[in-house]
Amino acid sequence: MATESSEGEEEGKAIGGNQHLVVDDDLREMAKKAAWSVSSCKTGNGVQFLRDDNLDTYWQSDGAQPHLVNIQFQKKVKLQLVVLYVDFKLDESYTPSKISIRAGDGFHNLKEIKTVELVKPIGWVYVSLSGADPREAFLNTFMLQIAVLSNHLNGRDTHVRQIKVYGPRPNPIPHQPFQFTSREFITYSCVR
Amino acid sequence: METLLIDCVQSSLRHFMLRNAIFLCERLCADFPSELNSQLLAICYLHNNQAYCAYHILKALFYIQKFMAIYNSHLVWPQNMKGHKWLNPATCLQFHAFRWIFLLKLKQHYALLSLMQRYTDRRKSAVDHFKRALSMDPLLWAAYEELCVLGAAEEANGVFSEAAALCIWQQLLNPGSNTPNLQITNEDHVVVLNKTLGSEEMSPRQLKSMQGNIFRDTPGNHVAVFSGGPSSQPSSGGSSNISLYGTPSPMPAQLYGVAPPPLCRNVQPNLNILGGESSPKSKINTTLQGSRRKLLDEGKLRKKFCLSSAYFGLSQVSGRLFSDSEPRRSTRLAGEAANTNSNSLQVGTNGSGHSSTRYFGGLSSSSKLISAAIRSGTFCKGQPSASESFDEGRRSESFDDSRLDNTATTSSSASLFADDGSLERERTGQQMGGVLAHGSRVSSGILELLDLLRTLGEGYRLSCMYRCQDALDIYMKLSHKQYNTGWVLSQVGKAYFEMVDYLEADQAFTLARQASPYSFEGMDIYSTVLFHLKEEMKLSYLAQELISTDRLAPQSWCAMGNCYSLQKDHETALKNFQRAVQLNSKFAYAHTLCGHEHVALEDFENGIKSYQSALRINPRHYNSWYGLGMIYLRQEKFEFAEHHFRRAFQINPCSSVIMCYLGTALHALKKSEEALNMMDKAIIADKKNPLPMYQKANILVSLEKFDEALKVLEALKEYAPQESSVYALMGKIYKQWNIYEKAMLHFGLALDLKPSATDVATIKLAIEKLHVPDEMVDNL
Repeated sequence: MATESSEGEEEGKAIGGNQHLVVDDDLREMAKKAAWSVSSCKTGNGVQFLRDDNLDTYWQSDGAQPHLVNIQFQKKVKLQLVVLYVDFKLDESYTPSKISIRAGDGFHNLKEIKTVELVKPIGWVYVSLSGADPREAFLNTFMLQIAVLSNHLNGRDTHVRQIKVYGPRPNPIPHQPFQFTSREFITYSCVR
Repeated sequence: METLLIDCVQSSLRHFMLRNAIFLCERLCADFPSELNSQLLAICYLHNNQAYCAYHILKALFYIQKFMAIYNSHLVWPQNMKGHKWLNPATCLQFHAFRWIFLLKLKQHYALLSLMQRYTDRRKSAVDHFKRALSMDPLLWAAYEELCVLGAAEEANGVFSEAAALCIWQQLLNPGSNTPNLQITNEDHVVVLNKTLGSEEMSPRQLKSMQGNIFRDTPGNHVAVFSGGPSSQPSSGGSSNISLYGTPSPMPAQLYGVAPPPLCRNVQPNLNILGGESSPKSKINTTLQGSRRKLLDEGKLRKKFCLSSAYFGLSQVSGRLFSDSEPRRSTRLAGEAANTNSNSLQVGTNGSGHSSTRYFGGLSSSSKLISAAIRSGTFCKGQPSASESFDEGRRSESFDDSRLDNTATTSSSASLFADDGSLERERTGQQMGGVLAHGSRVSSGILELLDLLRTLGEGYRLSCMYRCQDALDIYMKLSHKQYNTGWVLSQVGKAYFEMVDYLEADQAFTLARQASPYSFEGMDIYSTVLFHLKEEMKLSYLAQELISTDRLAPQSWCAMGNCYSLQKDHETALKNFQRAVQLNSKFAYAHTLCGHEHVALEDFENGIKSYQSALRINPRHYNSWYGLGMIYLRQEKFEFAEHHFRRAFQINPCSSVIMCYLGTALHALKKSEEALNMMDKAIIADKKNPLPMYQKANILVSLEKFDEALKVLEALKEYAPQESSVYALMGKIYKQWNIYEKAMLHFGLALDLKPSATDVATIKLAIEKLHVPDEMVDNL
């Protein structure tokens, strides 16, 4: 874990960036089959660069703030983690500084669930969607919206290089109250 | 015995029964390891396009140079074929197949025919044909193997018995008896059945030219058979099969594999399948139109059907082709073929005048390939006696099936045949007597070989019936040398795998790899065993080795896919399995694995499709039944799930995992009594499997029988102390009973064992709920 920027202690937690993307094994990327859209973009830096697994390409917005990234799923999904890759050294005034995450059924009833303040982040920024309550370990939603409210150095437009959304893996064995953890159980749990 | 084996191997090689040759050669090398035998094995592998295997063996013999020479000549061989006028490799193959059909033994043909039929779902006829093939030549291991896979094998004792010994002896003594059967050739009654499917592509012109070629090229060869088919590849990629076959099966067989069952669309319902289904002559084209009946009047085929039939599976003479010209002929020919197996019934009439291809009176019933109904009474019924007889020389008997209808000519020919048959029988009997006195050495060799084959056969049959413990016992009876061969060890590994005993399976397969590191038989199962054991390193090593040995073998891609799947990279795993499918679309296991990956990616539709294609190829593939059951379980279609699990259970009754899932499905259907019984059975079947006990506890909890559930869970704790779900369930039970301290304790233990995130959430929630009553109590 290389560079960590200073973290301020604000209400919406400031987070630094991590060089490496490390995610728990029992999480999987959920947004491959989702519909991604953005509020605005510059030609040649469109929404596809948010999902191309290439950290050199980025999405650049081209309008008024807040800049929005909308992710719509085909069915209600359980989400746990959102990860963004931003780089202050490369993007300077284009780097987002305040991000709000909203969720809901559609554009009409999005509700803000989390706000994060970034301070000169370089690398992957992890935003967990779970609440403190065990009942809120996951966010069940049809749509997720990531809003960039402001940028560093008061820039107007923003660059985001990659976004990934994670949720829990489904139980490989249906109709089971709990998942298996030990090797003996997992070995016998299926026929291949 | 050694000489006998060598002879068999060589004759199998000559007849392109490559799998047979390889198997017998491996037995030979195990018992009599010598340079010469190893060389023979290398040659077999070369013929089967497994150059790497040959290399491996010859390397051991320091025969590298010789190897290069052989390899080069081998490489040259197909090029010779290319230089031919044949339009495509399939044609060449067919040509060769016919050639040897012509020249040789019908028994192989039967086997081929059966293979073909098997691939086209003609299970009954396939079974029949294989049986015939076996009765004709008990050393035809490939036939027995296929019978086992079809699930219809008889006791090995019966097959590899004394009678068999006599028959082999006979064969050895009467090599010439085969030839009369081949006489037919002159007539060039080649019936080529093109598949009507492909018929569109085949133009009559082509066919004619092919025929012309055939005639030209095989003046002395009596091979008239030409399957027009090759050019008209069966729609479903028969051609791809041909080009793709990297798997060790006889070349012709692959062609057969291609023959898709759905015969021609042109088939008219009144065309009945050649009695041929029963008739030995494979009327491959039984699907030909009824107009073919006239053909019966023409000559009889003498050709050995098997091959022809097999081929025909591939290339059936399209009704279309014939319909213009001589539709009748084909049927007739088919009829003939059925009738006369190798006989010399020469129905002289078929002269080169025929432009249509003729069938080859195949050997026996195997030709039922297309039996789809086409031939209706066109063939006259053969005399049952004729067909039954199992004379070596007499192939005609095999065609009892060809019961064709009553065309005058055919019936007459049939009777002719019958007579011939009986005559020959007598003749052979006399010969036999004379020879009996001779060669006791030969006989003892035969007996030894039969003994060996009997053991192996019985073992294989039992493992195909999934009576794995019995199969293992039988394999143990083998001599040490034979046991330590790759084939036997991988069969042993497979048996352990079916019994869900992965550790033993791992050991057996490791030994198999040491014994024959170049073999692919069963390596896909080995990779699955490693997957179950979560041995990432071993699995990736195996996959790398397999791929570097042969990139064109589907097993290596299966292993690679398993590797990725273990790391949860399901998309890449799916790609690898699809490659395996591309390489050999008749490899059922690759389809099943594709299905598993689709399910892991939650793509149930494609998963169902993959499983169903696996089942189409091999309906006894219980993994696919299981996979389908799982999908339906997820989709909550419990009746379907139960049905599929039950099918899987019927096929493999010794797998405790299947029993466990069947129980779960029954419970979901509210048949809890049966469910509990099933769980008990599963527990008894395999002590090491903790899952049935856990499921039993689950069922009991849902039935509110908490005491019993608790008892089961306590026992389970001994078996698997590190399993968090056990503690979580116990915690739930205590919570129901409001024994908070114990509940808390168990939930805490469960959390300590690091369950998945969802479970953490559930458990924490349960803990919270636990506290509420405490508070209430406090408030009071």
